[in-house]
Parts: sequence; structure tokens; C-alpha cells
Amino acid sequence: MARSTAPDPPADLLGPVQGEVSWFCCGTAWGPCSSTGKGACGTCNSGNLQHAWPNTSDACWAITRPDSCGVGLSRRTCGFRHRITALCSGSSVVTAIADCGPQTDLFCGERSCCGATCASNRLIDLTPAAYSQIASLSSGLRPAEISTA
Amino acid sequence: MRSRRDVLRSAVLGGGASVVAATAMGSLGPEAAFAATAPAPAQKVEPGAPDPDFAEGRIRSIKENTLLVLGSNLVFHTIRVVDGTSLWKLGPVAFDQAKPGDGLYARGVRMPDGMLAAESVWLNIVNIKGHIKNITGQTLHLDHNGHEVLCHVVAGKSVAIHSESPPTEDLSMLKVSQHVQILGAWRPDTNEVDIATVFSPH
Repeated sequence: MARSTAPDPPADLLGPVQGEVSWFCCGTAWGPCSSTGKGACGTCNSGNLQHAWPNTSDACWAITRPDSCGVGLSRRTCGFRHRITALCSGSSVVTAIADCGPQTDLFCGERSCCGATCASNRLIDLTPAAYSQIASLSSGLRPAEISTA
Repeated sequence: MRSRRDVLRSAVLGGGASVVAATAMGSLGPEAAFAATAPAPAQKVEPGAPDPDFAEGRIRSIKENTLLVLGSNLVFHTIRVVDGTSLWKLGPVAFDQAKPGDGLYARGVRMPDGMLAAESVWLNIVNIKGHIKNITGQTLHLDHNGHEVLCHVVAGKSVAIHSESPPTEDLSMLKVSQHVQILGAWRPDTNEVDIATVFSPH
């Protein structure tokens, strides 16, 4: 599959970026989540204020490939903090990187909206504890702004 | 203006099951509950740390309006459901739909005695990504991290969202081999899920 060239410099170095945010489970868990581990950083738990980031390492980037959607994102490693603000509600939460993800390239071009407010491409996944601070878990996917904290 | 969290806290401190204050706000669906939430105060929990106002686990027993939940990390949680608590199980539901064995996530206000006064409880909710391996009748066979999950279409409940398009009950656009995210309700102790929403990038 042809890969497009990522913007240079990464968009998130210039200021906040907008994209889609979803949630994922990690750590000890029930149901289909029970086979999930502690994440790439070895610290991920559904009940912690944490998130997955698509560029935590070369190996991570090779899986997530946000550049194939035309999005450049900075290398940021375990423990780095981002502020995620839900564009629907204005609520925000500050979380720390605990895993690699989401797999941005598999949802390339996807766009989610609340009213006239939209954002494209999956740039970040939150744990249930973090996501539920800014939106209902039953919403599943929301447009958000991501900045450094 | 008092926030919904303030009302929950005072409701629980004020007298357990007969919660007049929370009743005044009505029982809301999860989306409405979040829309009604006043701006949150500054974040008190360190990023990366466990959030004391959140709980996960499986229901061991139910007594009156209280759920005794065993966390997956083997920590017990006592979760109080009041009239203003929103509950979700494939959609907004009443408290009597909570059953022992259900998995849950809950958010609320942690009280001084350790009990969680619940603002929202999501029963059996899962949000999984994977490739559609097969479609048979009203069931999607999802490959989720190498494990097959049988995802059932539920008439009147299941919808698909194709990128920014509005939700549709017509799931016929979904194709084998495409990648999707499925939000749904797990059937306890099975590899089966009832579909609430299928998110498709196309």
C-alpha cells in the first residue's frame, strides 16, 4: 500500500491538533478485554488516567502509520502527558502515555462530529477512566483536541 | 448552580435509598447525564494514576440500591445507585437490569467511607476493534486481537455509523475483511456481544 509523506514538522509541534478520540481497555479486565495486557509501557490499566499514542517508538509507528492519513505526530514516550479536550462538551482530562495506538491507518479519513463540530482521523485512545471524564463511554468515539500538558 | 456531582454527594450523605435530591434531576441516559454535567473542577488526580472516582469489575451481589463489585484487580467496590444515576446496558436501562455476573464501569463520587456514589454505570459495555471475518445472518464474526467475537445485530438497537454519516439501522454496507469498531454489550462468560454501534471508516 502506498504511504503518503507525513507533514514536516509534525502538526502537534505547532500547537494543539484535532482528531478522533476513542477508548480501550487494558490491564486486568473482564470480557473480551480479559486477553488484553498492560500495554506497550507495561503500566496500562483501565482505571488509570492514561492513553495510547501512535508514535511511542519506531515499532509503534510502523503499526499505527498516521502518516498514511497525512498526519504527522511527534515521538512521545511512556509517561508523556497530553490534555484531551472533548469538542462536544468542552470537558478535558490530562493523561499519561501507557500504550501504543490507535491504529490510525485502518480508519484513515474517518470523521466524527457532534453537531457542526467535527474532527478526522483517530489520533488517541483513552482508558475508560479517562474517557469517562470527558464523555459517556456509550458514545464510543468523539472529536477532540489534543495538546501537551 | 449545583453540579450533578454535588447533588449525588449530598443525596448519598443525606440518606441512602430514598434520594430526594437526585430524583429532582431525573434519571438520565448516559449522554444526557454528560451533557448536564457542570464544568469539572481542576483535575485532582495525577495523570497516569488510578482515578478514585472510577471503578470497574463484575457484580458479585446486589442489595437494595447497592452493587458489590469485585474489581478485576481483586479490589472490592461498593457502588451506590441513586435515582439520578444513569445506567447503560445496550442502551439506557433501569436499575433492575443490573444482574450478578455483569461486568461494569462506573463513574461517580467517592465518599469518605469508600463507597462510590454512581453518576453513571455502564453494564457489560465493550468497545472493541477488529476485522470482520465473516457475516452470517444477523451476526458479525469479528477477529479481535486474534480472538473471534460473535457480534449480534439486535433489532431496534443496533446501528452503524459510517464516518460522519448519521446512524443507520441498515448494516448491509458492512463487508467482510473491513476494519471496524464495535461498541456493544458483552454477554457474560461468552465470546458474544450484542451490538449497539458499529463504527466504520467508510
